[in-house]
Amino acid sequence: MAEKVKLFVNGQEVEVEAGKNLIDAFGAIGIEIPHLCYHPALGADGNCRMCLVGIEDGRPPFVPACKTKVAEGMKVQLDTEKIMKIQRDIMELELINHPIDCPICDQAGECKLQDFYMGYDGKPSRMTVKQVLKAKKVEFGCGVVHDQERCVLCARCVRFTRLITKTGELGIVNRTDNARVNIFPGRPLNNRYALNVVDLCPVGAMTSRDFRFKQRAWFLAKSPSICQGCSKGCNIFIDHNREKYKDEVIYRYRPRLNDKVNGYFMCDEGRMTYKLENDDRLTTAQVNGREAGLSVAVEAVRRAISEAKKTVVLVSPNASLEQMFAIQQFAASINASLSGYSDGYIKAEDGDDFLIQDDKSANRAAFTLLNIDDSKVGFDAALNDADLLISFQNDLGRSLAEDQLASILAKVKLITISNALTSCATKAAVAVPAASYSEDSGSLINCDGRLQRYEIALVKNQPLKSLIEVTNLIGGEIANNQEARAGLQAAVAVLKDIDLEQIPAEGIALTESEVAHVAA
Amino acid sequence: MSQLDILLLVLRVAFGAFVPLCFIAVLVWMERRGAAFFQDRSGPNRAGIFGFRAAGLVQNLADAVKLITKEDIIPDHVRHKFYFVLAPVIVFSVAIVSFAAIPFADALIINGKTYLMQTIPTDLGILWFLALAGFAVYGIILAGWSSHNKYGVLGGLRAAAQVISYEIPMALAIISALVVYGTVNLTEIAQFQGQLLFGFIPMWGVVLQPLGAIIFIVAAFAEANRTPFDLAEGESELVAGFHVEYSAMKFGMFFMGEYVAMFTSSAIIVTLYFGGYQIPWFSTETLVDNARVFTVLLMLLIPAFAWVFALWMAKNNKSHYDRPDDPRVREAQIYTKLLWCAVAALEIVLFIYLITVSGGVADRILVALLQIVTFLVKTTLMCFVYVWVRWTLPRFRYDQLQKLGWQTLLPLSLLNIFVTSAIVVALS
Amino acid sequence: MSGKVKIMERKGKDLYERLYLVEIVKGMAVTFGHFISNFLDNSKLYVRHYPEQKPEITSRWRGRHRLTTHEDGSVKCVACFMCQTNCPAKCIMIEAGERVDGRTEKMPVRFDIDLLECIYCGYCVEACPMEAIRMDTGIFAVTGSDRQSFVMKLDALLATPGAFSEEEYKKGGA
Repeated sequence: MAEKVKLFVNGQEVEVEAGKNLIDAFGAIGIEIPHLCYHPALGADGNCRMCLVGIEDGRPPFVPACKTKVAEGMKVQLDTEKIMKIQRDIMELELINHPIDCPICDQAGECKLQDFYMGYDGKPSRMTVKQVLKAKKVEFGCGVVHDQERCVLCARCVRFTRLITKTGELGIVNRTDNARVNIFPGRPLNNRYALNVVDLCPVGAMTSRDFRFKQRAWFLAKSPSICQGCSKGCNIFIDHNREKYKDEVIYRYRPRLNDKVNGYFMCDEGRMTYKLENDDRLTTAQVNGREAGLSVAVEAVRRAISEAKKTVVLVSPNASLEQMFAIQQFAASINASLSGYSDGYIKAEDGDDFLIQDDKSANRAAFTLLNIDDSKVGFDAALNDADLLISFQNDLGRSLAEDQLASILAKVKLITISNALTSCATKAAVAVPAASYSEDSGSLINCDGRLQRYEIALVKNQPLKSLIEVTNLIGGEIANNQEARAGLQAAVAVLKDIDLEQIPAEGIALTESEVAHVAA
Repeated sequence: MSQLDILLLVLRVAFGAFVPLCFIAVLVWMERRGAAFFQDRSGPNRAGIFGFRAAGLVQNLADAVKLITKEDIIPDHVRHKFYFVLAPVIVFSVAIVSFAAIPFADALIINGKTYLMQTIPTDLGILWFLALAGFAVYGIILAGWSSHNKYGVLGGLRAAAQVISYEIPMALAIISALVVYGTVNLTEIAQFQGQLLFGFIPMWGVVLQPLGAIIFIVAAFAEANRTPFDLAEGESELVAGFHVEYSAMKFGMFFMGEYVAMFTSSAIIVTLYFGGYQIPWFSTETLVDNARVFTVLLMLLIPAFAWVFALWMAKNNKSHYDRPDDPRVREAQIYTKLLWCAVAALEIVLFIYLITVSGGVADRILVALLQIVTFLVKTTLMCFVYVWVRWTLPRFRYDQLQKLGWQTLLPLSLLNIFVTSAIVVALS
Repeated sequence: MSGKVKIMERKGKDLYERLYLVEIVKGMAVTFGHFISNFLDNSKLYVRHYPEQKPEITSRWRGRHRLTTHEDGSVKCVACFMCQTNCPAKCIMIEAGERVDGRTEKMPVRFDIDLLECIYCGYCVEACPMEAIRMDTGIFAVTGSDRQSFVMKLDALLATPGAFSEEEYKKGGA
C-alpha cells in the first residue's frame, strides 16, 4: 500500500494517498473536485480554473487542485462561498458561447458540463448578446467529428496528440471568444489512437463518426470486458443495449482503466472490433451448407468423429484458457492431434511500442502454458494422414491462401465450431455456432504474461452455447468453466497457486508467480 | 286422447317453452333501457335493421348474433371440460323447467273436460319450483369449480352459501302461505286468490300474507342472484365471479339463464302473492258469464290505449338534434300505421266473435286469453320491479347478506308461521 | 387521536332506519321519478348523440400525437430521445440519423408511436425540448382494423395538422 497522509477537508480529517494531487487523492475517497482540463494520463494543465480550492496556510487564496500535491496536515477548503462562486462563474463563462444543443449531442448523459451545471451552477443564462458561432461537424479524420461550439478549450485532446501519440495534429488557434481547437490545414488526425480524444473530451466537442447518433448514452448498459483485437488485452467497457423488439446490440467499446495493461486508452482498431460481435455471426448450425438444428449438427459431429480414422483438432489462439484446456482434453480423449496453427492472426511489423501488438489473437501465450504446438510444420505433419479436421473458432482462411485451404479440404472433412460466419465456417461440412467472448466468460493471458478475466457482458435473446458447452456436447469431458479451471490448476504448474476463480481487476502477472513457484 | 287434448298439450308446452325465451329479449331490453332511464341516459338505441330499431330491441338481436358467432373458448387450464360445459346448461334448463308448474290461466273447461293451463299439469306446484330453484345453484357452483379459477370458485362458494341461507326463509314464507291457501297446487292457489275479502278487497296473497310476501320477494331476489344479492358475480371484488372463464354462447347461456330465472321467479311471486292470472274483482266465472260486456269494453279500450301509445311514440321517437328529414320520425310514423292495422285486426276479430261464436266454449277461450295477458302483464311488472331494485340499491356486503338471511328473515318467517297458524286456527 | 382522524357519525341507528324497507321505498321512489320523467319525455336525457354530435375538444385535451414542423416544412424533431426516455409505456421507438435538410444536425429517420401501448399521459410532450411532439390533434377516437395500423409512423405523425391555433394551444397551458 502506498503511503498515507492525513489532512483536513472542510475541517474534517481524512486520510489519503501521499504523492498525488488533490483531485486524484480526494477522488479516490469519494470527494469530487470539479475539473475539466485535468486528466490523470495527461497531467495538470490548469487552464480551466474549475478546480480552484482554498488552502489555509498562507498561500495565495486559491490554488488549482490539479497542480497541488497533498501534504500532511493540509487544511483544504472546498465549499466556501467564494469557491462556489468561482465554480459558478467558470460555468457561466464556459456556457456563454455553448450552443446548449444537448438534445442532439452524443455526449449528453455523460457530459461534464451537464454534470457541473447541475452540481455547481444551476443558474439561468444572463447573456443578451449574440453567441459566437463556430464550425460544427468538422471532420478531423480517423472518424473523429469535432464541434467547435461545444468545446470548452480544455486542451485535453491537444495534449493527447502531443504527449501520448506524439503526433501533434491538434492545436488551439485564435484567442478569447474565437479560440478553437483545430487541425493544421490539410493535416487531419492521423494516428491509430485518435478516437481516444472522444473519450478524453469532457464535453461533446469530440464525437465518434461511428457511434454518432446511434444511441443515447443513458440507454447503454456498460459491461466490463477485455478487448480481443490483439494480444495486449486492453480492458474495455462493452456498451450495449437491447432496444424494444430487438436483440442485444453492442454499440461501442470504450477503454477501461487498467494501469498494468492499457492505462486509460485503447487503439482504434480494437474499438471497431465490436462490429464482429454484432455482424456476420454464425447463429444457426449448418450441416452440408443447409441450416439444421443444434442437436442434428451435434449428432453429425459425433458421427464424423466416430467414423474418422485420424482427427486433427485445431484450436484458436483467441480461445480462453478454460476453452483451450477443455479442447485439449477433448482432443486427447478422441486420440486426435491438437494444433494451434494460426499464423494468419499475426500481422508482422504492425505493432508499436504503446498498445498495438503484431499478434492479433488474444491468448496465444496460453499455447506455451498448455504446450499446444502452433507451428505450420506441426500442423502439416498432423494433417498428413488425417481425414477429419475440427476447427474450434480458428479461421484457417486467415492463415492459408484460398488454394491451400482448398487442397486441405479436398483431403479432410472440416468441422467448424465458430462464433462468426468466417470463410472457414461456410466451407465446413458441419458448422456449429458458439457464443462469442462478449456472451461468454473466461481467462486470457496477454502478451506480457498477464492473466486477466472477462465475464459475460450481455445475453442475447437466443443465447448460443459457449465453446466449452459445445465441446461437451460433442464428447468433451469438461462441462463448464469451473471444471476447466480445476483441471487447469491440476495440470499446469504455473497456475497451481493462483485462485482462478478470483482474479483481481488488474489481472495477475504470471511471470512473477512462476518465479515464486520455482523458488518454492 | 282426442285431437283437442293433443292440441292443448302442444299449445301449453309451446307456451311454457317459448314465452320465457321470448321474455329474455324483452327483459334484457327492459333492463338496459330501464337502467338508462333510471340514470338519465338513453341506453342502446342505435342498432337497427333498415332504420327500424324497435326502441332498441334490435340491439338484443345484434348481441345474440355476436354471442353465437363468437369463438367458443374452453380455457386450457380447465380440467373437467364436461362439467365446464354442463354448468351453463344446468343453469339455463333448470330456469326454464321451473316455469312449467306455473298456471298462466284458470283451468279451461271445454266440453265438460278440465284442462289445467300449466305446461306440466302437475299437482306438485310450489314444491316443483322449490326443488328446481335450489337445483339451479348447482350450475353456478359447478361453473365456479370447473373454471379452475380463484374468482370462479369464490363466486360459486358465495352462490352456494347464499342459496342455503335464503332457501330457508323462502320455504318458511311459503309454508305460512300454504297454511292460508291450504294447498300446494298453484292453480288452486290462484283460484283461491280470485275471492274477495270483506267483499271488496281481492284476496291476494300480499293482502293475507304481507310479511310472508316481503320475505319471499327478498329471498327470491337472492335466489335469482339479482342485485342487491348478486355477490356471486361481484365485479368489484370477483371480476365476474362464477362465469369469469366463460365466453361466447356458454356465457350467453348464463346470461339468458339469469333472465329466465328472473322471469320464473317473477311468475311465482305473482302466482303466490299477486293473484296469478286473476283479474282483480273479476273471477273466472264472472268473466265467462259477462263475456259480451267485457268484449265491448275491450273494443273500446284497445283503440284508446293505442291512441295514447301513438301519441307517446310521436313525442319521443324523434332525433333530439338538427337532422334533415328525421328518419326517426318516419320510423315512428310507420310504427303508428302498423299499430292501427293491428288494432283494426283485433277489432275485427272481436267483432266477428261477438256476432258469431259468443257464448259457450268461445267465451271460456276468450277469458283464458284475457287471463294469460293479465298474467304476463303482472309478471312483466314484477320483472320491472327486479330491474328497478337493481338500479336503485347497491350490492350488500357479504356479512350483511348472511346477517339479513339468518338473523332477520329466518326469525321473521318463523314468527309469520306462528301468527298465521294461530289466526287460521282461530278463524276455522 | 391525531388531528387528521375524523370520526364519522354512523347513521341508521334508530329503528325506523334499521327497518330499511322504508328507506328502500324512498330510494326507489327517487329512481322511479327519474325513470318515469325520462320515459314520458326522453328529450330530457343527459346524452350526447355522439357520432352525429361531436364533443368540443379543449386545447388541453391530450389527443393523438403529431410531430410539428418548422415554417419551411422540415421536421422540428431532433431525435433527442427525451420522449422515448420518459415514456412510461415504452411506446415510442425512434431511430436517429444525420440531418439532411440543412439544419443542424440530427433528425429522426424512424419515429414510431405504438398507440396500442400509449397511455396518453402526455409526458412525451412535456419532455420535448423542441415542441416537436404535441397531442393537440383533437383526435380522440383512434380506430383500426389491424394492430399494425395503430403504429403511427413518421409520415403520418407529420401529416396530421393540429386542431388549434398557436394562441389557443398556448392558452391551454402548454
